[in-house]
Amino acid sequence: MNSSPASLVLAAHLAILSSISFGGFPTVLPDVHNLAVARGWVTDQEFANFFAVSQVTPGPNMILMMSFLGLKVGGIPGAIVSALATFGPPCAMYYLSYRLWDRFRDMPWQRIVRRGLVPLTIGLVIAGGYVMARSAAVGWQSMAITAAAAALILGTRLNPLWILTAGGILGGLGLL
Amino acid sequence: MLEWWESGGSGDRVPLSALFLGFLKVSLCGFGGGLIWARRVVVEQWQWMDEQKFAETLTLCQLMPGPNIVGITVCVGAELRGAIGAITAVAGFILLPWTVGLAIGGEVLQYAEIAVLQNILGGLSATAAGLLIGTGLRLLKPHRSRRTVLLFAGLAFAGMAFTRLPLPIVLIALAPISIAVARFESARAV
Repeated sequence: MNSSPASLVLAAHLAILSSISFGGFPTVLPDVHNLAVARGWVTDQEFANFFAVSQVTPGPNMILMMSFLGLKVGGIPGAIVSALATFGPPCAMYYLSYRLWDRFRDMPWQRIVRRGLVPLTIGLVIAGGYVMARSAAVGWQSMAITAAAAALILGTRLNPLWILTAGGILGGLGLL
Repeated sequence: MLEWWESGGSGDRVPLSALFLGFLKVSLCGFGGGLIWARRVVVEQWQWMDEQKFAETLTLCQLMPGPNIVGITVCVGAELRGAIGAITAVAGFILLPWTVGLAIGGEVLQYAEIAVLQNILGGLSATAAGLLIGTGLRLLKPHRSRRTVLLFAGLAFAGMAFTRLPLPIVLIALAPISIAVARFESARAV
């Protein structure tokens, strides 16, 4: 593998984050953003672009987003190790816990742990959205779009795909 | 002795190809709501699990890190065909969509300097960020009268949004306290 150590640094970082990504991968976005921008791998705008493209692609979009980052850092090998680091550790943990589930399914602590983690994962998801909004923001218009999208998903049962399409069109018309 | 590798062998075995295709479908259809499609494919279409087993599996997945939808994929595969089933289901979920997405998305990103494309991407990322914020707020809504939930959600938010602290630090600092509070509250509720 001729990819720079940078893609290994990224992969190791992603492997740690994916192992603690309670509540899903959006919760780790602020941390990945800090790393990638601080190391000069990507600009805010590039990071936001990865997010945008992955969100309109069907399939495992957070894995794809991390692969775009890996692609930028270390080419195709970088993309592959990033993907593996993103889904590998959780898959191994899911598999093991599924095997052991019968042993701890009725233990009261698992309900308490879940109850304790829920508020944190909610806060982290919102932080993920906030950090992405900050990287995408070019002015009050994009902040207004972010606020409108949040309000629509909160207050209506619209398919998120329609909301995304509307946002893309507004952007394409040069309104941001 | 290969039981862990290849289990669920009694009666009619679900073919690996069905697992692969089933989760490929979940992956491709699951735009913005993968769990709905997972339920549709696993419970309704193929009856790989009944409603209750599916709900239990989801509970397990919510306790673990990672995307819940990938967790469902691993568990259904493991339930039906053991380790090889889990690998096949995950491969179905990831392999094709990822390859196509990386090829097309990588190409699109090459041309991101083109003004119109950058404008579209800007609109999309601002919107997608809003969807994430809105989803988080929607999850918070049922708990809005519980002050401790609001407090810990707020602390986790502030920890990641306004400081440059790494996620492991924020989790190690907050999770034990939050779990202790949850324990105290449920002990008091009994």
